[in-house]
Amino acid sequence: MIENLYKKILLSDRLALSKAITLIESTKVKDKNKSSKLIKKLYKKSGKSLRIGVSGPPGVGKSTFIESLGIFLTNKKNKVAVLAVDPSSKKSGGSILGDKTRMQELSVKKNAFIRPSPSGGELGGVARRTRESMVLVEAAGYEVILIETVGVGQSETEVAEMVDIFLVLLQPSSGDELQGIKKGIIEIADILVVNKEDEFENEVKQTVSDYKNALSIIKKENNSFTTKVVKCSALNRTGIGDIWKIIQDFKSLGNKKGWIKEKRTKQLEKWMWDDLQKNLFENIRNNKKLVSEFNKLKKKLAKNAISPTEASKKILQHYTKNNKS
Amino acid sequence: MNKKNKRNYSSWTQIAKKELKNNKLDKLFSKTPDGIEIKPLYTINDLKKLDHINSYPGMEPYIRGPKATMYPNRPWTIRQYAGFSTAEESNKFYKDNIKSGQTGLSVAFDLATHRGYDSDHPKVLGDVGKAGVAIDTVDDMKILFNGIPLEKMSVSMTMNGAVLPVLANFIVAGEEQGVAQNKLSGTIQNDILKEFMVRNTYIYPPEPSMRIVSDIIEYTSKHMPKFNSISISGYHMQEAGSTTAQELAFTLADGVEYVKCALSKGLKVDEFAPRLSFFFAIGIDFFMEIAKLRGARLLWHKLMKQFKPKDPRSSILRTHCQTSGASLTEQDPYNNVVRTTIEAMASVLGGTQSLHTNSFDEALALPTPFSARIARNTQLILAEETGINKTIDPFGGSFFIEKLTDDLVKEAEKMINEINKMGGMTKAVEKGYPKLKIEEAATLKQARIDNADEVVVGVNKYPPDTKEKVDILNIDNTKVRKEQIAKLSKIRKKRNSKKVLASLEALTNAAKKEPNKTNLLKYTIDAARNRASVGEISDALETVFTRHRAIIRSVSGVYKSAFEGKEGLKDIKIQIKKFVSKFGRRPRMLVVKLGQDGHDRGAKIIATSFADIGFDVDIGPLFQTPDEAAKQALESDVHVIGVSSQAAGHKTLVPELLKSLKKQGNKDILVVCGGVIPPQDYKFLKDKGVAAIYGPGTNIPKAADDIIQLIEKKKNIAA
Ligand code: B12
Ligand SMILES: Nc1nc2c(ncn2[C@@H]2O[C@H](COP(=O)(O)OP(=O)(O)OP(=O)(O)O)[C@@H](O)[C@H]2O)c(=O)[nH]1
Ligand SMILES: [Mg+2]
Repeated sequence: MIENLYKKILLSDRLALSKAITLIESTKVKDKNKSSKLIKKLYKKSGKSLRIGVSGPPGVGKSTFIESLGIFLTNKKNKVAVLAVDPSSKKSGGSILGDKTRMQELSVKKNAFIRPSPSGGELGGVARRTRESMVLVEAAGYEVILIETVGVGQSETEVAEMVDIFLVLLQPSSGDELQGIKKGIIEIADILVVNKEDEFENEVKQTVSDYKNALSIIKKENNSFTTKVVKCSALNRTGIGDIWKIIQDFKSLGNKKGWIKEKRTKQLEKWMWDDLQKNLFENIRNNKKLVSEFNKLKKKLAKNAISPTEASKKILQHYTKNNKS
Repeated sequence: MNKKNKRNYSSWTQIAKKELKNNKLDKLFSKTPDGIEIKPLYTINDLKKLDHINSYPGMEPYIRGPKATMYPNRPWTIRQYAGFSTAEESNKFYKDNIKSGQTGLSVAFDLATHRGYDSDHPKVLGDVGKAGVAIDTVDDMKILFNGIPLEKMSVSMTMNGAVLPVLANFIVAGEEQGVAQNKLSGTIQNDILKEFMVRNTYIYPPEPSMRIVSDIIEYTSKHMPKFNSISISGYHMQEAGSTTAQELAFTLADGVEYVKCALSKGLKVDEFAPRLSFFFAIGIDFFMEIAKLRGARLLWHKLMKQFKPKDPRSSILRTHCQTSGASLTEQDPYNNVVRTTIEAMASVLGGTQSLHTNSFDEALALPTPFSARIARNTQLILAEETGINKTIDPFGGSFFIEKLTDDLVKEAEKMINEINKMGGMTKAVEKGYPKLKIEEAATLKQARIDNADEVVVGVNKYPPDTKEKVDILNIDNTKVRKEQIAKLSKIRKKRNSKKVLASLEALTNAAKKEPNKTNLLKYTIDAARNRASVGEISDALETVFTRHRAIIRSVSGVYKSAFEGKEGLKDIKIQIKKFVSKFGRRPRMLVVKLGQDGHDRGAKIIATSFADIGFDVDIGPLFQTPDEAAKQALESDVHVIGVSSQAAGHKTLVPELLKSLKKQGNKDILVVCGGVIPPQDYKFLKDKGVAAIYGPGTNIPKAADDIIQLIEKKKNIAA
């Protein structure tokens, strides 16, 4: 099965790619083993795409923007993959994966592959699965990957830490709302895109200049690319070409100066540590030998006989002792 | 008992409590879905604060009727909505109906025409002549009214998206029949706002669409004095699942928006407002519906005051009504005759100007001559046997109805204020607000039926032992399509193509001009006269206006909420848990709508409730082609595609979907169907490879359970 998927993905088979993503998304232990085998095999074939993260508040126009950029690219014969994580599904129930419906025109293009995914309940699951999905679509020959994520909570930074270039879409707002500008966003964004210029012409201009001003005050660390502020209408598809040009500049400059490579290496390291953290935790948590110890500690915690910090140290001690023997 | 009982509410309360034994009156009070309290008893006290009580029909505030003499002088118009197959077939049907007592016509167009496509367009493969009559050119329109005198017969046309070419065709058909424009009487629906909310046969985005509406109001106000320029419709909202207050509020708010729109075109209010007409659904909630019609007149009069009309007719609400198809069932279908009779009575007691009554095979297919006859006779019996039309507003002064009218109006006014805060209905519609509100109400209603809080006889209570076999009308759309294409190509050969092109170009240029400087209907009539087709005219406008793409928003958590504290979803949730641990993910379903079928109530309800139950659900956009749906399903690797079909395209489009899935390499995605699919077609679909069919009245948790089992079965075979 893995061999088959492997071959077909390299041939850019849509169905195999889709099945493989299901496999890496699966919460079954058996599937996890299979999927790590597949990733291992395909890993060397990955890494050739440009990875673009698109974030921003709910309703700002991320899906519309991705559709517009995606169509712009597929018209230029580029192969585009869109991965969208649905954050609304964190709770126990199922979810409606609505993003797809907002990319009606792109979704029918032959050169486009769109996969909305539920985020599931798993801790750190989104990050792992998105990284692995990227490996898969890259191996299948997609040249540009667009990842949509809502700019709330954890997922934004998670995605920022796995892409080459990170775009944050902004709502046009009028005048003196400068205090609303978040330093955090500017630090992680490579391009700030103020959307909806068709409808809010003046507000968009204002917002662009506000952010430009703010940028001159806040200094970005560790990056040789100065954050750009641009405007567009994702709906009417204006400004999309300009944004693509900035992305291209970013790419060529980044390749020349080597900071894309640097960024990716750092990301790989992070991936490794994240993985270790997750595995270690699962290993301890599901360790049968530690069950009686857990239960003992639980009782002590209930009686306030031990602090949580002390308890966790105890577990770690037991774990290392166990592993030695 | 020696002391005389005092005749007041508190004495009644005491006696009533005694009767109840447990002393609790509470259980005799209930709340409607709008939150209006229904009491077990209304008294004269309830009338005290109502200032509309002492009023007369044909006089302000018109609550008792738009005319002073009402039915005692002239009964309502029996206007049955119909149309199917070709113009020839529909013409024959109309003539038979007129002979049998029908007094007005109402044309149902097919979905290709609605969406501005000619019958030869690849996107309408499954839609031609299926859910209405196919009209491509003036010549079809002439055939449709062949032998029907248009100066006498009033004609209502349900057309909104392709309203320009269709109205133009009608005007030219009249012209060529020898009837001048100003002699034509009838109504064009021309209500685009509710299309974006619930009916879904829009073509252009909201802004140019509103411009078309006002152009038609302008043109008819100047040239067609006997023609209603618009039919502001709440009917479709109720059918889409709205509450009564929502239907009332959103419709009148739409009305206000259209008035503003016409005023901005430079018209004076009295030039057009008398020709605005309305359209409501009448459901099974008998008293509430009577209250709604009375309240609508009251409220419209009040709302129109802001425009300071001088002509009293400007603030009189006249309305058509249709009994509710959504209240009718596929199970035990003869019950529908009874339901429709009750609804027809409510329409008449509410004072409607014209009425359509549904046929008992409503949930199966378009009516047959037999079922149509019973539907028509329902009205004839009411009008000519019962004596119901001898007295005006028979419920006037009823403690209950008067109070209910007032309660409902107040509820609607609250909603209208909400909408005003958003900047009016166009803005609200763009935000998707009313659509979501209606979907929420529809989802709650479904939940109430699924957990049997709301009884539907024959569906969730008293199911019949045997299934009644009902003959249905079957339309061979492939044949109709062929005939239409033949007619089209004949016309295209015969006409003067230079003139056609020139008139289409003139139309395109007019569309580019400032809205206030031109009238698009004028140019469309020229093009129609030259035999430009509906599709060509629509294209000529689309190049400037573009085609609207709707954004799908969905409610979530609503379905589940109705099951709180109930057992209804317990079993299915356990099933899902098992499924997840067995297969490593939730069951995943893509809900699709294929072709031009815009009935999305069922699909949206299925999507949100399945998600609430624990499925991962993808929703396809409206008007998807089978190929597009297959691609989406494969990329998302869903377990199952659920096709929701209401407009009878299933026999063409579902086999196409199955073919496309196969061609794209699928081996394990299941296809199930739901919606209006007559039992006669089950075998055909199953033979093609459909795994299961879930018709009207489907209990959702049960269907979900069934689908999970189907997926597991498929997986076991594959493994
Ligand atoms: C409501 C309704 C409308 C509303 C639609 C509102 C909306 N946004 O959906 C309005 C008033 C706008 C409308 C308009 C039209 N309608 Co209409 N409409 C109906 C009606 C009365 C009820 C459908 C409905 O929503 N029921 C409630 C929902 C919850 O039930 P449901 O869809 O059946 O879904 C249930 C099951 O079927 C099942 N199910 C459905 N889908 C799926 C999918 C899956 C995966 C699963 C598991 C289950 C499942 O589960 C659901 C829950 O129980 C039907 C008649 C009827 N009683 O069925 C006619 C009907 C469908 N309409 C009809 C027609 C002709 C039209 C028009 C084309 C008329 C015209 N010529 O202009 C227009 C055009 C609409 C368009 N754009 O396509 C015809 C179709 C004829 C045919 N099939 O042969 C019908 C059958 C009436 C008739 N007998 O003439 N309509
Ligand atoms: N006027 C205007 N509206 C836009 C533009 N881009 C998006 N919109 C509208 O904004 C709304 C939300 O757009 P989406 O693309 O779904 O936004 P999103 O950020 O992906 O939303 P979520 O995924 O729900 O967070 C829709 O109504 C769009 O039509 C634009 O450039 N101009
Ligand atoms: Mg989105």
